Amino acid sequence: MAYWSQIFRFDQRKSDLEAELQVHLRMAIEERIASGESPDEARAAALRELGNLPLIEDVTRATWGWQWLEQFGQDVRFALRDMVKTPHVTVTALLSLMLGIGASVALFSVVYGAMIAPYPYFKPGEIRLPAIEGSKDPYDWWGRHLYTVKEYQEIAKLPAFQATMAVGNEWEMLTGPDMDTEGMNGVRVTDGMFNFLGVPALLGRTIQPSDTDAAGKPAQVVVLSYGFWQRVFHGDAHALGKTLMLNRVPYTVIGVMPQRFGFWTYKTFWLPMQMNSPSNQGLVVFLRVRRGMSEDEEARQLSDLNQRLARMTPAHFPQGAMHAVLHSALDLTAASTSGMRQNINLLLIAVGLLLLIACVNVANLQLARMTARSREFAMRSAIGAGRWRLMRQLLTESTLLALAGGVLGVLLALTVIHGIVAMIPQDSIPNEARIAINGPVLLFAAGISMVTGMLFGLAPAVQFARPDLARALKEGGGGASGSLRGKAMRNALVVTEIALAVVLMASASLAIRFFLQVTTTDRGFKPDHAMSVALVLPANGYKTMEERSALNAELLKRVSGLPGVEAAAMGDGGGPYGGIRSGYSLDGQAGVKGQQIIVSLISGDYLRTIGIPVKSGGGFTPEEEQKAAHVALVNETAAKLWGGENPVGRHIHVDFLGQTFKPPFAAAVGVGPDMTVVGVVGDTKNFILESPTQPQVYLPNTLYAGPGWLLMLRTDGDPMKMMDALRAQVQQVDSSVALVNAMTMDQIMGLEAIRARFNMTLFGTFAALGLMLAAIGIYCVISYNMTQRIHEIGVRMALGATRGDILRWVMRTLVKMTLLGLALGLGASFAVERMTHTTLFGTNSLDAASAAGVTAVLTAVALLAGWLPAHRAGKLNPVNALRSEF
Amino acid sequence: MARTTQQYKNRIELLQGTLDMLLLQILQRGSMHGYGIAQTLRARSAEILQVETGSLYPALHRLERQGWVASDWGQTEQNQRAKFYRITAAGKRQLAENRKKWETMAAAIAGILEPAQES
Repeated sequence: MAYWSQIFRFDQRKSDLEAELQVHLRMAIEERIASGESPDEARAAALRELGNLPLIEDVTRATWGWQWLEQFGQDVRFALRDMVKTPHVTVTALLSLMLGIGASVALFSVVYGAMIAPYPYFKPGEIRLPAIEGSKDPYDWWGRHLYTVKEYQEIAKLPAFQATMAVGNEWEMLTGPDMDTEGMNGVRVTDGMFNFLGVPALLGRTIQPSDTDAAGKPAQVVVLSYGFWQRVFHGDAHALGKTLMLNRVPYTVIGVMPQRFGFWTYKTFWLPMQMNSPSNQGLVVFLRVRRGMSEDEEARQLSDLNQRLARMTPAHFPQGAMHAVLHSALDLTAASTSGMRQNINLLLIAVGLLLLIACVNVANLQLARMTARSREFAMRSAIGAGRWRLMRQLLTESTLLALAGGVLGVLLALTVIHGIVAMIPQDSIPNEARIAINGPVLLFAAGISMVTGMLFGLAPAVQFARPDLARALKEGGGGASGSLRGKAMRNALVVTEIALAVVLMASASLAIRFFLQVTTTDRGFKPDHAMSVALVLPANGYKTMEERSALNAELLKRVSGLPGVEAAAMGDGGGPYGGIRSGYSLDGQAGVKGQQIIVSLISGDYLRTIGIPVKSGGGFTPEEEQKAAHVALVNETAAKLWGGENPVGRHIHVDFLGQTFKPPFAAAVGVGPDMTVVGVVGDTKNFILESPTQPQVYLPNTLYAGPGWLLMLRTDGDPMKMMDALRAQVQQVDSSVALVNAMTMDQIMGLEAIRARFNMTLFGTFAALGLMLAAIGIYCVISYNMTQRIHEIGVRMALGATRGDILRWVMRTLVKMTLLGLALGLGASFAVERMTHTTLFGTNSLDAASAAGVTAVLTAVALLAGWLPAHRAGKLNPVNALRSEF
Repeated sequence: MARTTQQYKNRIELLQGTLDMLLLQILQRGSMHGYGIAQTLRARSAEILQVETGSLYPALHRLERQGWVASDWGQTEQNQRAKFYRITAAGKRQLAENRKKWETMAAAIAGILEPAQES
């Protein structure tokens, strides 16, 4: 018998069966009449004998085997009908679900894209990075061991690994007749790299083993990243075959990679590695494990090789016993090393709480709705529905609601995902990560909708799938709500909601405080209207200090003379941040081992450019600068080292300048470590924001100069508008000097704030949503309780209760619930906070002020949410209330 | 016919497999509608076996689903529409098998009961 025809003709078969049984009944009646009974008697007797016709039909249909589908269809139709009949409840429930599921899905897409499957590479799970456990590793980098080219070639010969590749950085200076001079990090890779990763080129081809000749010398070819191709060649397909001059060597462009491929770089390019080089540069090695071989065996082979290599060049390996370990590439992503993992975990917990609040809300709504239908359940149970059948009905309803909420949630996630991605702190997730609503995320959405449906469906299912028949039928339709158990459960759910909302609000308060701290802390200098750009000297130029000082003076003269520039200065490396760390000692005393001071080399106008005030003494005079005098400025923290005495005129010994410098570093002739202090300047935040200022000393940059400088400008308008003029001036002086990373000071400050803002926005949004949902929940429950007790209110008013009395009566319960929820929530927050010691919010911890803030906001919202329906109850006309009995 | 308490007590609960076998046997003689089958069952068992409607129709539909009977709508002698069931070839084979099993079972039970009665 064809099953398809069975399904499609279902209705036909149903009516057939009905007809068949009617025929049977008719025949039974006829037989009785024929044997002498009256028609009425016959009919009654026949019916009695036949039994429960609908039940017989049901059982018979059950033999068809499709009963589950039939019942499911029934349940779905019924659920939809009921949802349409109670639009307020349905809309509120859908809203709650949309918010809860939407937030979860959006966050999961971040987790999936950044942590679970960030890489577009071929079988990323197979890739391993070698590390050496044991004593301190001299060639260690973020937990991986680096190998030289020769060592790598030995590794490549090991049978343990299916494929290998190695990567190294190289600073490339891009020059060229039709391109701006720039400095950037090119990526040197072994010739098998692109095949190893398994990503084909977008245009042209990738570097292949054939590009390296037998002697190990690579062809001069380069593969561009998508970002580089867009920026420099403007996406022109004719970029293939063009030449790039890198470090004055021509390279031919042979290919462009697709946008998502960002291995080691997003913005530069890949070059083949020189395999015959004797260099000791450490390379990062990637390995693909061979299937069929155990990982222990592979690690052992590597260990043996390490031992052999260590015997040849012991300086590259740690001393003593070495034990090679193969780390999975997926574990060591940027996401885990930068603390982003912890960040995301906390966010996941927060969104889980939000989802829980949504579930509790919907459970409450469902409870209320089912209460109105308790008579219906009693009836169905009486005519033969089993308990499981009723429960299935309820679960179908909740699942339907959950799926609808899930669809809405996904739509919501789609709209907010762009905003979230824009806020994610740069470099905290892998370049190649793509965060979008894709297949796996949708699967997650479906899964979480089902789980949500089960969760909030449980409460009403448990309560109503076993109705107390007699009582429910006796009482009115809504009377069952008076049952203590029902009310207690609803109130308990509200308390839970409040507690969860409190926890969310506590976390948000921490995030907000941290953000405010990051953005309003006085840093000690003025970042507005200021910008910095890094200057990189060409590799083979400016070997002597005189040349460097001359360049410095010339550049500053030209740049200061530009219209719109108020002040210009040259510093080293990182501007107000960072700098060289050096040991020191004061006034000829012996230095304490390990104590360090930050050393910054500056030109004379630096203080004015950055906006650091001079507190005592004076800045550098032009003569002191020119003559490379051994003078120094100290910040206030450093000044305290002299124990309260004025350090002006005293001496400080900066250990750093006691060494001899080789290129690329240069120092003035006769430079020595003894400096005389000529002034004290204001403190700046020169370390992590939450930490106190570190002692710092400023020296004239004519004393010592590295190959990288920082040019800083203060302008009277938008600093970035000066870039073109700046570039022109630098080009005129020396076109081989590269300008890199031009940013305004405000932008640099902003970088710090990005993570704080990210967390504040997300935690704050979750808290706001949680609070809103809790408020809706309170409003609904109080409203519902009111409607159930309309009669009672009428009686009370008739007996003399005023509006105020009614209000107070209602609010009493609300206040109790709120207080209980607050206590639970705050208690949980404190407990969790003590346990996790997270550094996500700086050093802020939950204190009385935060708790007070949370309490105030929550109480206000809760009381308002409960007051509205209570106020309405008070305004009832007692006569109508009394009449509204069923 | 009125029911007597005697007849109620004599009603033996028929196991599902047994009922199937009896229905197939009845249909062996020719096609019949549901009421007719119930009548025949009562008549041929001397009023001892009276199958409930609630068991009969599920059983018939089950047999149909297994492919042992087939059904068609037809006309009764009184020219009324009714659904007639007839046995199929597969059904005949199933019947033969069921009978063999039943006879084996009956012999086995008899074998146990016999010696007890003798002593």
